[in-house]
Amino acid sequence: MKTKIGIILPLFLIVQLNWLFSQTTQTFPFYDNFLKNGWIFFTSFVVLGGFLALLNLLKVILKMQQIQIYKEMGKEAFEEAETQPISAIFNRWYKNWTKVVPQEKEHEIMFDHQYDGIKELDNSLPPWWVAMFYVTIIFAGAYMVYYHFTDMGVSSQDAYNIEVKEANAEVKAYLATQANKVDENTAIALMDEASLSAAKSLYGVHCVACHGTMGEGGVGPNFTDNYWIHGGDIKSIFKTIKYGVPEKGMISWQAQLNPSDMQKLGSYILSMKGTNPPNGKEPQGIEVK
Amino acid sequence: MRMANLETFYYDNKIVRNFAIATIIWGIVGMLVGLIAAFQLIFPVLNLGIAEITYGRIRPLHTNAAIFAFVGNGIYMGVYYSLQRLLKARMFSNFLSQFHFWGWQLIIVAAAVTLPLGLTSAKEYAELEWPIDLAIAVVWIAFGINLIGTLIKRRENHLYVAIWFYIATWITITVLHVVNNLEIPVSLWKSYGVFAGVQDALIQWWYGHNAVAFFLTTPYLGLMYYFLPKAANRPVYSYKLSIIHFWALIFIYIWAGPHHLLYTSLPDWAQSLGTVFSIMLIAPSWGGMLNGLLTLRGAWDRVRQDHVLKFMVVAITAYGMATFEGPLLSIKSVNAISHYTDWTIGHVHIGTLGWNGFLTFGILYWLIPRLFQTNIYSQKAANAHFWIGTLGIIFYAIPLYWAGWVQSLMWKQFTPDGFLQYGNFLETVAQVLPMYAIRAVGGTLYLSGAILMAWNLFKTMQVGVFLGDEKQEAPSRQSTHGAHEGEHWHRWIERRPVQMMIFAAIAILIGGIVEIFPMAMIESNVPKIASVKPYTPLELAGRDLYIREGCLGCHSQMIRPFRSETARYGEYSKSGEYIYDRPFLWGSKRTGPDLHREGGKYPDTWHYNHMYDPLSMSPGSIMPAYPWLIRDKLNVDQIPKKIKVLRTLGTPYQEGYEDIALEDLEKQAAGIAQNLKKDGIKDEKLAQREIIAMIAYLQRLGTDIKVKAPAN
Repeated sequence: MKTKIGIILPLFLIVQLNWLFSQTTQTFPFYDNFLKNGWIFFTSFVVLGGFLALLNLLKVILKMQQIQIYKEMGKEAFEEAETQPISAIFNRWYKNWTKVVPQEKEHEIMFDHQYDGIKELDNSLPPWWVAMFYVTIIFAGAYMVYYHFTDMGVSSQDAYNIEVKEANAEVKAYLATQANKVDENTAIALMDEASLSAAKSLYGVHCVACHGTMGEGGVGPNFTDNYWIHGGDIKSIFKTIKYGVPEKGMISWQAQLNPSDMQKLGSYILSMKGTNPPNGKEPQGIEVK
Repeated sequence: MRMANLETFYYDNKIVRNFAIATIIWGIVGMLVGLIAAFQLIFPVLNLGIAEITYGRIRPLHTNAAIFAFVGNGIYMGVYYSLQRLLKARMFSNFLSQFHFWGWQLIIVAAAVTLPLGLTSAKEYAELEWPIDLAIAVVWIAFGINLIGTLIKRRENHLYVAIWFYIATWITITVLHVVNNLEIPVSLWKSYGVFAGVQDALIQWWYGHNAVAFFLTTPYLGLMYYFLPKAANRPVYSYKLSIIHFWALIFIYIWAGPHHLLYTSLPDWAQSLGTVFSIMLIAPSWGGMLNGLLTLRGAWDRVRQDHVLKFMVVAITAYGMATFEGPLLSIKSVNAISHYTDWTIGHVHIGTLGWNGFLTFGILYWLIPRLFQTNIYSQKAANAHFWIGTLGIIFYAIPLYWAGWVQSLMWKQFTPDGFLQYGNFLETVAQVLPMYAIRAVGGTLYLSGAILMAWNLFKTMQVGVFLGDEKQEAPSRQSTHGAHEGEHWHRWIERRPVQMMIFAAIAILIGGIVEIFPMAMIESNVPKIASVKPYTPLELAGRDLYIREGCLGCHSQMIRPFRSETARYGEYSKSGEYIYDRPFLWGSKRTGPDLHREGGKYPDTWHYNHMYDPLSMSPGSIMPAYPWLIRDKLNVDQIPKKIKVLRTLGTPYQEGYEDIALEDLEKQAAGIAQNLKKDGIKDEKLAQREIIAMIAYLQRLGTDIKVKAPAN
């Protein structure tokens, strides 16, 4: 059984790698999913069948090998090789930690009573088991004292505050080395190809649900007309993305997008102006020429 | 001692056979429902647009069927067979045996009808509504009377270790079931629990964890202690080990419930108790595994050939793995990774598929040929079942472990500039879908094995001749007064079933009392928050829809105090926010994102569109669509009664509020409907739809203390 499991695990790796290599995009639409997972489901069965066949082949080869050894060295030599002596140190160690009574002497520790033919032996508690029990009990006591009867243990809430403080310091140190410090006062429209295409994929993840694939609007307003509710210049758009308009359902994105991404998104939104997609939502807000 | 007269009596094999058949049938049903749920996770359209077979409703059906129908009948099968033989007596009452059997099957049928209908109390593994809870209590007590009656009229002086486990099981499940289901009915199929929020959570997981302990573990250890030595024909390894691990196990197990609530708003002291008692549980659990595996000394050569022993060995090994992994997952730093992920699902299935499933299969393969006085119909098929089942477990568990690790790491990954690397929850779901697909392969294999077994066993039944009443002779029980010099101290209690039950009850009550009483009695454990107000009638109606649809199967409402969670969801959850939550809806798995701060996150229209077709708002989502919420009219008949019941339980609705509650409800509904109409949603009766209540509830979630984003 053990050897079989040993072979099954690598099989898993193969199946998983199959999937890893086929992984190309981070989000895939539903039908892609359907095909992909259906494919994996069925190939898994095929791989499994092949694996079982291989296993059988292996068994046959081993049997043949065995016969070969018999032929060359005789049966005795083969059997001797099979029974390796266990070292004396291991034996003593094993005895001390299990205190097991050998099977030959079992009758000496057999109780008289029996229940529906079931007999019981009076073997000692395995010392390694008792030791483990004591260790866990000591650990339990120490844990309670450490966390609840001394000042050393940190509460969940304090641990959280420390985690956030350290992370903020790290982020601050990192940002100091980066030229990433755009805000609503300094944002400028970036109309280069690279920025716009980066923004397009961000838009596909975060914005399409409310503003439509082509900016035609839906739950949220239309980006392609000349009308703006909260201002149509890059700085205003940046501000709207960053802080949101919670009372109207536009959420604040500053916790999910970095300033540089918000600037690119704002630029991409500006680039949609005048594209006039089908099903455009009616204009909202003030016309900006 | 005078020579005793031999008495002739008959073992009742019919009841054993009945429970065995029920075990086989319900086992296949339970696994099938699980497999359907597994497929729906990859292909959400497989609910065929039918509310009753949608994931949120069939997940509890799967867990209840697997635990109470499959394992439950398995317990009774094994107990009714072994108890009679270990006590040398027929069951106390034929009527009670029959009542127990048919009562339990009716309860299962009632569960299979009500859960898909959405009639649920939303407490995991205790979802059934109050009339079924009462029926369970009655049937369980009938089982208890039958058990105790048989103990009293036994012919064997001492109780064997298997029976200690049966006794502890019975008394503990009685206590757990009663306390966790204390509720006040609103109508025939709706009730509100006596406990709310964090107290409800503690009691639920004290129950939930110990349903694992005293329904999936202790009775099965009892079965192992009977069927393993019988099948292996070997003496039990150590009587001393039996004693120590039995008492240690039942005493310690009951404390470990809070490990399901690590890093939640349960006070730290209770969380720590859950952790340390879980750690201390390793040795007592392994005591059972050791006594099982070491009993096989001298029989290992037969394990290779005997399919019964093969199943039992894997079962005991799986038990050892799961009971080592459990404490590991109870360490807070490990739990921070594992909780809410598929790691937990993988873990419990090692226990259920491995330990419960394989032990049940082993017992069935041993028992059925004996009841029918024949050999197993096909040894080959039994061996094939063993391999298919083992592969099934591996293909089930490993992908889920993998999925759990991958997803958890993705949830926690930050970019150097302080943003979540995978800010969109859906990205992390897409990543683990292939693993879900492989899990479904595992489930398919395991179910196929079970079907093969069913065929094999029914063939065996056909070939054999059933022995309904098995003749047996034994002397009547003798008073052994004064004959106990020099015996082991534990022999004393083995002659006294009533005392044993009392001591077992004391052992299991201590942990429960120490954890639950302070939580329920001392107010400082749940700091009050002034801004937290009861739900409005419309929100309450929405909340009950959330319960009906089983949303908590995939969405938690408990944000843990980690940077990765507050960055994703908002301020971490406080216990004071939940004081009006009956039941608590923290959930235990995030297949979708946490919803505790969902309120105000998206506009009403977003929710409307999302419920109608999740893919329209979240491309790639595996959430099923809920068109019936948009189509169906909200039933408000029970609202006044609900308000009254909640006031009785302590929710501060003003006296007489029930009379004007419906006016408030309509006013709030009209407001939401107007928002939706403004965004172009056309439906003349919009304000009366269920979706409006659902939106009201979702928009309320977590807003009581929601911190407004600072202006700069």
